Amino acid sequence: MTTAEVIFDDISKFYGEVLGVNRVSLRIPPGITSLVGPNGSGKTTLMNLLTGLILPDRGSISVLGVSPRDPETMMRFTGYATQYDAAPRWATGFEFITTGLLLFGCSRAEAEEKAWKALEWVSMTEAAHRKVAAYSKGMRQRVRLAQAIAHNPQVLVLDEPLNGLDPLVRAETIALFRAWAAEGRHVILSSHVLQEVDVISDQVILIANGMIVAEGEIRGVREEIHDHPSQFVIRCRDASRIAALLFNEDHVTEIKLNDDRQGMLVLTKDREQFARALSRIALAGHEIDGVVPADENVDALYEYLIGGGR
Amino acid sequence: MTATISFRARQACTIARVELRRAFFSKRSFWVYLLALFPAVVFIGHGIEAKIDRQRWSAKGFTPAALLDGIKQGETSEAVRGRLGTPVSDEKWDHRRRVLREGSGKDSEPRVWEEKREQRRRLTYFDGRRRADLWFENGVLRSKSIRPLLNLEEDRQVFAGLFQYFYLRLAIFFGCLGIFMNLFRGDMLDKTLHFWFLAPIRREVLLLGKYAAGLVAAVVIFTGGALLCFAAMLWPHDPGEVQVYWQASGLSHAFWYAAAAALGCVGYGSVFLAAGLLLRNPIVPAATLLLWEAINGFLPATLQKVSVLYYLQSLCPIPAPMDNSAPAFIRMLLSPAEPASHFWSVAGLLALTALVLVVAARASRRIEISYSTE
Repeated sequence: MTTAEVIFDDISKFYGEVLGVNRVSLRIPPGITSLVGPNGSGKTTLMNLLTGLILPDRGSISVLGVSPRDPETMMRFTGYATQYDAAPRWATGFEFITTGLLLFGCSRAEAEEKAWKALEWVSMTEAAHRKVAAYSKGMRQRVRLAQAIAHNPQVLVLDEPLNGLDPLVRAETIALFRAWAAEGRHVILSSHVLQEVDVISDQVILIANGMIVAEGEIRGVREEIHDHPSQFVIRCRDASRIAALLFNEDHVTEIKLNDDRQGMLVLTKDREQFARALSRIALAGHEIDGVVPADENVDALYEYLIGGGR
Repeated sequence: MTATISFRARQACTIARVELRRAFFSKRSFWVYLLALFPAVVFIGHGIEAKIDRQRWSAKGFTPAALLDGIKQGETSEAVRGRLGTPVSDEKWDHRRRVLREGSGKDSEPRVWEEKREQRRRLTYFDGRRRADLWFENGVLRSKSIRPLLNLEEDRQVFAGLFQYFYLRLAIFFGCLGIFMNLFRGDMLDKTLHFWFLAPIRREVLLLGKYAAGLVAAVVIFTGGALLCFAAMLWPHDPGEVQVYWQASGLSHAFWYAAAAALGCVGYGSVFLAAGLLLRNPIVPAATLLLWEAINGFLPATLQKVSVLYYLQSLCPIPAPMDNSAPAFIRMLLSPAEPASHFWSVAGLLALTALVLVVAARASRRIEISYSTE
């Protein structure tokens, strides 16, 4: 067994009668790995099992050769930014991170220096001395991220880390993940937005109903995503005419007209070509009131990727 | 880095420092201060009342003690007033009662009730130290009560009763329930327990750090409360009398009351810390332990020793006063059958605490974060 991997060996976890994850076996190499699945699929359960917050009913977990049952050793090289939004009422952002670092055995000066650096990474220095309880949701998300990375961990586990971040911080955070992965560290993150992980992950683990549906490099999943027809709802006056025009386009695979003839659902294999076709139709004088994507939520994609794949 | 004992001790100190703030200032345990300070407030109130009475009565002049002692039953109120002078307090009232008329209700006579009026009067005199209450019926002295305005011996008995019946059994018990149950349960309710679990610390170290914080807070609050109450009990008394008591046994009494309060926090704290780990609802362990401690007097000698209260009562320097007319089972409830020596009390309590903490440490390894079920 190599000690450079995170290994789940036949892991099952039940919450009473409810399944958390079932017989999961995984080997996660260094790099950015995304756990992707709809809400309630078992992503957070896997992360909590990995970090010892919950214990498996069956199987064993090894994080670089160390069991999560030994937090004293494992948490030295592991950082976890949870999704739990509750913040310790007693602390400012700076104290929150400093206290954590003191438990690592840092001197106070060293802890403060590292805490400040971590806050700089997530652009939180200005709010450092405000109570965490007074932070906005996005700020709490960032301070949790800062706390997870402050001790420079070898394994970084992040539950929905990009939620609530503004675009600039989001881009900086992704760059940070990439830099860490390039150093040979493990960055394991969860997301329910496939398009998001598509951009940043080296490999993806698809999970649904507590079971691993697919795992591997992002390329394969990405192709599946690109093959998946996108759905759009169009509201317009002359739905029959516009539907006829769209049917002439190769990328359009299906059109369903609304009963009121004031709109339609269009399935297309190429979003960009679809956008161009719509522009042409509009410029030709056809009145289009609105176009709304109908499948941007992950559940719709999962119905295709996971439901169809089984 | 291999964790050493000193490193783990530093971690425990860091945890304790953080938890200490919460233990002292948590809104959830604010009522703990009320429990701790209540007996002191009672004694301060008593002291203030005695001082006010002394001041008020002193202004009206003292009656010589020998004259007070010389008053006999059967003397008239006018004669008493003539001998002792104007009292510090003179209260008169009519007492009415229904009595069976003489001769009625016998044989075939109907029962006839009649109202009987008695004129009652209470004269109060003060000789500078003692108050004398003289009770008259229809102008004749029926009873007298001469007692010190402040009685140190009596106050010590009251303190002993208050300390054992209220402070140990209720105040420290429920205070520790509030402080120690909150250490883990509070984190679970606030959804912040994972913060500790994600640090590189053994669960046992976390437990010890939290216990230390709770213990420091509880000991400061309740030992401080006990000593404050003890000081409030002594405060209104004559300084000379207090000094004599202090040199004879007062210091030792204060020490053992403080020790009993502190060891109460040690014992109950460990039990409630363990209960906070194992159970969600604090009412269940509180009710169970309260019942166990209450029936302690009925249990066999061996089982009596599995009780915090057994050791604490054994440490108290003065047995709690007990009314002789109290039923036997009440006496058993309120006093240990066979008190342990001080050494065995301390040793037994520490052993019991160590055992409970070991159980709690084992339980802590199995705790999982499941906020959604809280």
